[in-house]
Amino acid sequence: MESSIVDLLAASVRLAAPLMIAGVGGVFTERVGIFNIGIEGMMLVGAMAGIWGSLATENIWVASLLAMVVGGLLAAAHAFLTVSRRANQIVSGAAINLFALGITNLLNTPLYEGYKYRPRVDLYPILAPQWLQEVPLFGQVLFGQPVIVWIAIFLPFIAAWVIYRTSFGLNIRATGEHPQAVATAGISVIRMKYIGVILSGVFAGLGGATLALADLGLFAPNMTAGRGFAVLATLVVGKWNPILVAGAGLLLGAADAIALRAQTFGFAIPYQLLVMLPYLLTIAALAGLVGRTVPPKTVGQPYDPEKI
Amino acid sequence: MKTRRSTRLSGLGGLVIPYARPLLAIFLALLVSAVFIIYRGANPLEAYKAMLEGAFGSRAGLANTGVRATPLLLGGLAVAVGWQAGLLNVGIEGQIYLGGIFSTAIAISPLPVPPWLHLLIAIIAGFIGGVVWGLIPAFLKAYRGISEIVVTLMLNYVAIQLTSLVVHEPSPLAKKDAFYPQSPIILPSAQLPILIKGTSLHAGLIIGLVLGVVIYFVLRYTNFGFRIRMLGGNINAARYTGINVRRLMFVVILISAGIGGLGGVGEVLGLKLALYDYFVVGLGYDSIAVALMANGHPLGVIATSIFFGALRAGAGKMQVVAGIETPIAAVIQALAVLFVIGLGFAKVGRGSWREKKEDEAKEVLAHGE
Repeated sequence: MESSIVDLLAASVRLAAPLMIAGVGGVFTERVGIFNIGIEGMMLVGAMAGIWGSLATENIWVASLLAMVVGGLLAAAHAFLTVSRRANQIVSGAAINLFALGITNLLNTPLYEGYKYRPRVDLYPILAPQWLQEVPLFGQVLFGQPVIVWIAIFLPFIAAWVIYRTSFGLNIRATGEHPQAVATAGISVIRMKYIGVILSGVFAGLGGATLALADLGLFAPNMTAGRGFAVLATLVVGKWNPILVAGAGLLLGAADAIALRAQTFGFAIPYQLLVMLPYLLTIAALAGLVGRTVPPKTVGQPYDPEKI
Repeated sequence: MKTRRSTRLSGLGGLVIPYARPLLAIFLALLVSAVFIIYRGANPLEAYKAMLEGAFGSRAGLANTGVRATPLLLGGLAVAVGWQAGLLNVGIEGQIYLGGIFSTAIAISPLPVPPWLHLLIAIIAGFIGGVVWGLIPAFLKAYRGISEIVVTLMLNYVAIQLTSLVVHEPSPLAKKDAFYPQSPIILPSAQLPILIKGTSLHAGLIIGLVLGVVIYFVLRYTNFGFRIRMLGGNINAARYTGINVRRLMFVVILISAGIGGLGGVGEVLGLKLALYDYFVVGLGYDSIAVALMANGHPLGVIATSIFFGALRAGAGKMQVVAGIETPIAAVIQALAVLFVIGLGFAKVGRGSWREKKEDEAKEVLAHGE
């Protein structure tokens, strides 16, 4: 029983890692006032770019970088449409998801073309020495994990420091709360918005690469399967604070891990109830049933410099 | 009558000119996709010709186009109704699932009524299923001021899990000892009739077409429709003219969600003939794309959904003839949407002279009366 709990914890952290990484990006985009439901699609292209990069260069870090670049490019398109063209943010995000789904389905055949068998790709390495991995509990849950999981754990703290402790972070936060004040201070609101949105794509891309390269080592059509939307849920539950958002991501990972086991072992509670719980929790949080949740003030609205 | 001119919904004539932009966007999308087709070693003109033939060249092709267009049409109309009121229902996917669950519950139960009535009750049940799923976002939006977007989005995932729960034993809607989790087959009396023999084109398309025209007339010619457009055009003006804005928002979200539920009715009672896990994927988001391409105009939604349906139906033939995989349809569709919003409807930027006139009219409406 004890070993299965440790196993469950380890799986929770592993499943949560893509959500935690993409969640950091989500904080940035919503903090500058732009919804990005395209995170789903950006994770998907990130996953494919990660596999492609790993196949082509046999270097996991180049592959990760490629995933981040591709995710960032897609996010740049979202930024152009929603910031410069002031298009509806949901519509733009939905179109980006559709594009990502289509293009990855389309490129799935060329991706593996010329291989007789599905090729093995390098995965994120496990860095901890063997003796550390044998430490009870922490060994399996933490030290036995690939390095990207560690990155997923550290990243939210770094992001929180940037957002709450640097002037850049202050500008990011102010852009979503009071863009006119930012403009008055002589800082380009448009530029801050671009930075926030593109960061969300960069981290979504890395999150997607994590999904593909942490332990699977393959790309499958629509492999994100709604994880990008789950990230949006963690933003609300985590109140747009990177550390809390990562915590919410862990919660979702745990729900996933339990659900996966429930299907095989047959639990008393249907696993579907467990999987829907985080989404219900998100609605409850928005409705103010669990503490006060206030989204960034101008999120969803186009910014018009001429309007004061 | 003067006030009617100041609102957004145009007549048939006004439909054509704004459509120049979407048409240009579609052209650009086809152009960009052609680059990909060339990269895959095929001739884009031949590929597109095959696509056109596949979609419209035969009875089977036409039927397939209709089948693919139906859920997009109903979903697109659901989004369009909200759009006209300035609301964005991102929850079509979930409402489709709920419509499916509710209509299945009726459609697999033998009722002591004539077949047409059985079908009608099942359709209405599907609508109600959607409405039920709209209650929470409608209440939160109208009476708590919480954005409908995130709430409807989150409910999609709840609905997917709920459907999964419902088709797995021991749920009363689950088929016993099924190989794949599903409900029992829909009773013949509750199936939507087939329109062309030997194909799967079902009467869901008729429901969508009729609904599209009805919504158009309601929005354009009735008081209720005028209030909806007023809400979407200028919420303060709507408030000043004495419209109960909260109640109207509440009602519009419910109607929109109910139409979303009808999307599920068409898929289950017309096409799948049983309720399955994950019986639609991404349709809710495609519906947003459809509504956007039509700029929320119900008749435009009819045209756009048929176009998107044709893309998907024709993609099969394109794969056979030119060897381009079918997901190209989704790419073309997505690019078309991205180009539309990139080019922008007249709304973006400084606005045309005519819009300024409209805005002035709204100002007068807001403060003058």
